[in-house]
Amino acid sequence: MDKIQTVKPSREARHDAPLKVTGQAKYTSDFNFPRMAYAVPVCATVGKGKIRAIDSSSARAMKGVLGVYSRENIGALYRPTKEASMDYRIDEARPPFEDDLITYYGQYVAVAVAETFELAQAAAKAVKVSYVSEKPKLGGKLEQEDLKKTDHERGDAAKAFAQAEVKVDHVYVTPTEVHNPIELHATVAHWTSPDKVTLYETSQAIHAQRNVMAQILGIPRENVQVITKFLGSGFGGKLWCWPHSAIAAATARKLNRPVKLVTDRHMAFTNVGHRPRTEQRIQLGADKNGKFKALIHDYASQSSMDDEYKENCGEVSGFLYGVSDVKVTSGVARRNQSVPTAMRGPGAVPGLHALESAVDELAIALNMDPVALRILNDTNDDQMTKKPFSSRHLKECLELGAQKFGWSKRNAKIGSMKDGDEIIGYGVAACTWPARRLDADAAVEFTRDGRVKISCGTHDVGTGMYTVLANIVHEETGIAKDKIDVELGDTNLPKGPIAGGSMATGSVVPAVVEACKKAKKNLLTAATKIQSSPFKGLKDDEIKFEKGLVTGKRGGKMDFASLLKKLNMSSAAGLASVKGNMAAMDKEKFSTKSFGAQFVEIGWNPLLAKLRVRRVVSVIDAGRIINFQPARNQIEGAIVMGVGMGLFEYAVTDARDGFIANANLADYVMPVHADCPEIDVTFLDYPDKEANAYGARGVGEIGLAGIAPAICAAVHHATGVRVRELPVRIEDLLAT
Amino acid sequence: MSEENSKVSRRSFLRHAGVAGAGVAALPLISNAQNAPPISESEKPYVPDGAQDVRLNINGKNYDLKIEPRVTLLDCLRENLNLTGTKKGCDHGQCGACTIHVNGKRVNSCLSLAIAHQGDAITTIEGLGTTQKPHPMQKAFMEHDAYQCGYCTSGQIMSATALLKEPCGKAAGDVREAMSGNICRCGAYKNILEAIQDVRGV
Repeated sequence: MDKIQTVKPSREARHDAPLKVTGQAKYTSDFNFPRMAYAVPVCATVGKGKIRAIDSSSARAMKGVLGVYSRENIGALYRPTKEASMDYRIDEARPPFEDDLITYYGQYVAVAVAETFELAQAAAKAVKVSYVSEKPKLGGKLEQEDLKKTDHERGDAAKAFAQAEVKVDHVYVTPTEVHNPIELHATVAHWTSPDKVTLYETSQAIHAQRNVMAQILGIPRENVQVITKFLGSGFGGKLWCWPHSAIAAATARKLNRPVKLVTDRHMAFTNVGHRPRTEQRIQLGADKNGKFKALIHDYASQSSMDDEYKENCGEVSGFLYGVSDVKVTSGVARRNQSVPTAMRGPGAVPGLHALESAVDELAIALNMDPVALRILNDTNDDQMTKKPFSSRHLKECLELGAQKFGWSKRNAKIGSMKDGDEIIGYGVAACTWPARRLDADAAVEFTRDGRVKISCGTHDVGTGMYTVLANIVHEETGIAKDKIDVELGDTNLPKGPIAGGSMATGSVVPAVVEACKKAKKNLLTAATKIQSSPFKGLKDDEIKFEKGLVTGKRGGKMDFASLLKKLNMSSAAGLASVKGNMAAMDKEKFSTKSFGAQFVEIGWNPLLAKLRVRRVVSVIDAGRIINFQPARNQIEGAIVMGVGMGLFEYAVTDARDGFIANANLADYVMPVHADCPEIDVTFLDYPDKEANAYGARGVGEIGLAGIAPAICAAVHHATGVRVRELPVRIEDLLAT
Repeated sequence: MSEENSKVSRRSFLRHAGVAGAGVAALPLISNAQNAPPISESEKPYVPDGAQDVRLNINGKNYDLKIEPRVTLLDCLRENLNLTGTKKGCDHGQCGACTIHVNGKRVNSCLSLAIAHQGDAITTIEGLGTTQKPHPMQKAFMEHDAYQCGYCTSGQIMSATALLKEPCGKAAGDVREAMSGNICRCGAYKNILEAIQDVRGV
């Protein structure tokens, strides 16, 4: 036990901290321009049907209203290329106002644009739309109706399950969840010439946004610049282009004025994606000693009528444990609801709710400790891809977590542990998330004003990218951090990766390191070759760069800024391009995955019918942790989101028309300060050189995985009630 | 409090934004005030029918505006005065991102009409402290990494500084309760709590 390596805590303010605490960090809707107009969309009030007529006469008559646009007059907006790659990804591919068809409640049908926000709001409310309404397809049990597929199969799972000595067979349901970043989705569209536009976007994927928007608008890709300097988080909901961007850009083009469109909170539930409802049947069988023998995971996720988003719930089922016979099947059930999209830990997070709940139920059936059962079924090989794991320390996560949590104090008997009026429940779950790398280009420049500039067209979505890159270049060069500038979030910069899938940091860091090395080398080479240099004629190994100073072997020292001036250079630059491994995952020798263990203590007060998460201990094995404080913050924040997933969050759909009845932040309950448990996060310290040169596997989503099933296990321990449909509702427990 | 009067037009606020941008560029960081547009001298703010003369005192400075009575204090700050540090998260008083101080007390600016606050002393995040001279709460937020994306941060800090003068118990639970009107979807609650307790000396 004492041999487990863990990361030592460290504390340092972020590079962008001063801007964030003084209100100076510029988020998308903070960009204001002269002559800027305001756009407010009009949303459909039926779940299915056709627009009969749009009467915008009274809206247009208002003074200060610049226009009301709909299918009739928006002009051409084109369908973009749709491919699974990150370059042309879009989940809602239908351009806004394409036809008269309504396929979900809240779909944009028109937009009012006016001189002020208040006028645009009033005008949007004055637009009268009539519909030919049809009965929408809503609710019901989710079956694998479409996009049916066997995700993975090995051995004969049905036979092995039939023969298993101890088994569980249950259906688990996760509801529609909504990302709800506090920053509302927004676009500020600014045409700088008739066919050139700058889009200030709330985007986790500016390059995809550019490619897709160029196609929708029918202009060359190079004529679109997308800027996202600061993102008020996204959790996946800001990865791909949503229709409001096209509305803002199209109306700005029509009016020849900058247009700001900020979606409202209701639209956050219907027009910018959500995590879809899933129904998952898990059949898990073991021998009487607890060794897993069969796993069958059949799931369906809800989708919209036209699009192809499938929640990949079986993604981790094939590799989390050693099981010889496995089958995973999937499909979608189409409903008249808005288009789903990736939400933090897509696939694995709802998938693990089902799988890890089933493991807990099997442990009870076996009368085994759930930690011991997981350790017993640990494996060093990814049996799905038949490759060894590059670095897997799930066992250590479980052992260290159990120790830190005090798992040994657990009395397995239901309802046996008490603290005052509260009945205490302990629960545990394992978690995992794949580690992948994306292509990344980056530039590093030493400039003659004595500063270092790092540029990469990627994003800081709260993950600390600005800080990570400044720190890495500080390490590489010894130059003080206050002399390092980081520029992100602009498609004019070298192409960086999306901020998603826990991939950005591990993808960008190697590119920045290489660019930095190149820039140093280019500076030193110039110093030895250019006539005006004091270091002219030195060989490569006779000159070095340290702490911002260039030093020659035969004496002589000069700071790089003075040297650049001597050399008549504006800067010494390096540009690097590092390939990811997404395209050729099959060729990798190892399976690179992160792991973790989540331990949860809940308190159930039956007198007050009050349920809360009291504390969480999380041990995460994510390779090297590049930046301790923001990384821990990511896991802690994901745990808080997990409390929401476990206890609070679900979108309530009106069965008549698909209206989301709780589409606001009071009725869609998200964890607030008072809901935040005590949290203890530990990172194991096993750098994974197979993942990337820095050994880092990313921490964005894994913290959310496993929290909900650990909560459900703890609730069962306290109350004897097994909740299989999230969230755990008080009414589920009232019978106890 | 020293008072300075200022006629605000879109032109002057954008110029003001340009100055703020230049200050930012001197910091160790991030190119932030990107693509500042050329400002036309002839540019006048649009005055809607029914607009009223409104004088607001914000961060010790008077602003004379012509705005409709229905303009919220939040939209007035952001869209009319370019004080964009105050954020919109829900526009319904449910998230706290728009929290500011009116006469020292925290209010949700999205639930307040600008015209109703003439004569009040309004403080926004821009008036609390600067990057060079941060308020102790701003400093504590930096030290404790009490944010992730930073979007709710202005509201959290304005709530937290108001809380210092409120009758709030010492316990973590008291602070959590008193801060529960400010949602942080990134979930940085643990660090926010630590920052606040640090400033309170608890």
